[in-house]
Amino acid sequence: MTVYESDLPGVGKKFEIDLDDESTLVVVIHNTGKREVFKRDGDEDSVKLFEITDQLARQVGTILEGAYFQPIATDTTETMLDDDSLLEWVKVPDGSETVGRTLRELDFRHATGASVVAIQRDDDTESNPGPDTVLEADDTLIVLGTRPACHRAESLVSGDGETDGDGDGTHADGNGGSDGNDGNDGNDGNADDKDGA
Amino acid sequence: MADVLLETGLVLAVLALAGTVARRLGQSVIPFYVVSGMLMSPFVLGRVGVPAVAGYAIELQPYITLLAELGIVFLLFFLGLEFSLERLLESSEKIGKAGTLDLLVNLPAGVVVGLALGWSPLEAFVLGGIVYISSSAVITKSLIDLGWIANDESNPILGTLVYEDLFIAFYLAVLSAVLLGGGELAEIAVDVGTAMVFLLALVSSVHFGSRYFQRFLDVDSEEMFVLRAVAITVLVAGIALAIGVSEAVAAFFVGMAFSGTDHLHDLERRLIPLRDVFAAVFFFWIGIRTDPAVFPAVAGIVAVLVLVTAPTKLFTGFVGGRIYGLEDRRNVRVGLGMVTRGEFSLIIAAIAADAVVGGTVLTETIPAVAVGYVLVMSILGTMLMQYSSVFERFVVDEKPVSG
Repeated sequence: MTVYESDLPGVGKKFEIDLDDESTLVVVIHNTGKREVFKRDGDEDSVKLFEITDQLARQVGTILEGAYFQPIATDTTETMLDDDSLLEWVKVPDGSETVGRTLRELDFRHATGASVVAIQRDDDTESNPGPDTVLEADDTLIVLGTRPACHRAESLVSGDGETDGDGDGTHADGNGGSDGNDGNDGNDGNADDKDGA
Repeated sequence: MADVLLETGLVLAVLALAGTVARRLGQSVIPFYVVSGMLMSPFVLGRVGVPAVAGYAIELQPYITLLAELGIVFLLFFLGLEFSLERLLESSEKIGKAGTLDLLVNLPAGVVVGLALGWSPLEAFVLGGIVYISSSAVITKSLIDLGWIANDESNPILGTLVYEDLFIAFYLAVLSAVLLGGGELAEIAVDVGTAMVFLLALVSSVHFGSRYFQRFLDVDSEEMFVLRAVAITVLVAGIALAIGVSEAVAAFFVGMAFSGTDHLHDLERRLIPLRDVFAAVFFFWIGIRTDPAVFPAVAGIVAVLVLVTAPTKLFTGFVGGRIYGLEDRRNVRVGLGMVTRGEFSLIIAAIAADAVVGGTVLTETIPAVAVGYVLVMSILGTMLMQYSSVFERFVVDEKPVSG
């Protein structure tokens, strides 16, 4: 990586950073502290991307640097193990029909196709729970399976037969249950279009 | 006292209004400040038939001259402060070539026009300086506004401006010694000698004394910081003027001395507001000293100067861009960018107006020509930059098609 630094009399300093794709990132730091960021493709004119204040620039800078990085915790966390199977964290809500029942009673593996590999309860994690383990409200089940299987597990635990509204962007499989909600379907359609584009 | 305060308030209010209009129109503020001064002068407002209104005309009073003088001092102080020795040294060869070409074409262009008008060599030399020096302030502002600052064309433009700035420091030193000292040739030689010795002393103190300049501003209090910086600048400028040396040049070197210290950015941040206020009054002061009635008499000269020196700057800028190895489309921009003339042309004109040697050409014609010229060139230059794409089309065919 090459960075060119040059003085801008009466303005401040200019830094030009060669990017991998023949383009150049140009950062102008004004004496006032203001930063202007441009991108230049080859011989074209520089295009101004944005300008920010000194303070904001420092914050954005540390974020870019990685100092602030933390995985974002969402309601449903998932980890892909390979192309087909994933681990998903499923919360057991208050008032779920599954509360107070054992995995055997629920016939969890057959009903959903996913296995419960661990249960997080309070601060403890019970790995490999046996068929007689009783589910409690606020448990978090860690389930392993294909994406549709994990969805069925979510549906079973949340008890509403569909998984829309959880905002995790994996609606494609749960759509069957939400036909009554036209607005929602419209939204989903848009999202799909974007994905396809 | 009440009168003076009211009048100062009036001046500043008019300047604020003029600046607002300029910004609305996307123009440089300088011509608007000058015109606002002209409109408020005894020559225009003073001649309005209604006495109640005419009474508000701003007379040329010592306090306005003082504020304008501070404007000159701070303009040059900042020129020195922002004078980038680093830039000059890192590409001294390119700047040397492009800057020397700029000097050898544009200064003589003005001198030739002056001589053709039947003026003396000294008068022609003054005219040469006025048409030579481009406006760092206006051009730099336009570079930022148009985003050119991030492109390659900003390098030859800023490089050439640095060259011009250094040249103009010595030019002003010689010019004010000659014009303000007066007298016989021997006396002029002594004046120029004094100026050179004083400036040499300043330059060497800049060179060897940066530690002291550094320590001088090492204070915790922001108040003391500003006060000390302003005090030393104005005091050195005042001493210079008292012994017949250009105060502007003295301020330039004081600025340069501080540019080598760690306080550079603090100075810029804290003193720019001061400079902007005083500089605005300086342009206003130029305006109230100018009687628009003289414009018809000098319109022909101004027209010739515009027709000659806009193309010469275009040419030297274009070639300057080639020296930097840019493609022709950008070279056109360099040329267009250098056309704007502004604050320094007016400073030269102000020195000419106070000249004790020579006749009315120096004290009346040249200042009027300079004001008319700057009004045209500052607006023309800014617009040329804004509409550069029209001119780029002339050369764009030569460029291989990309993207």
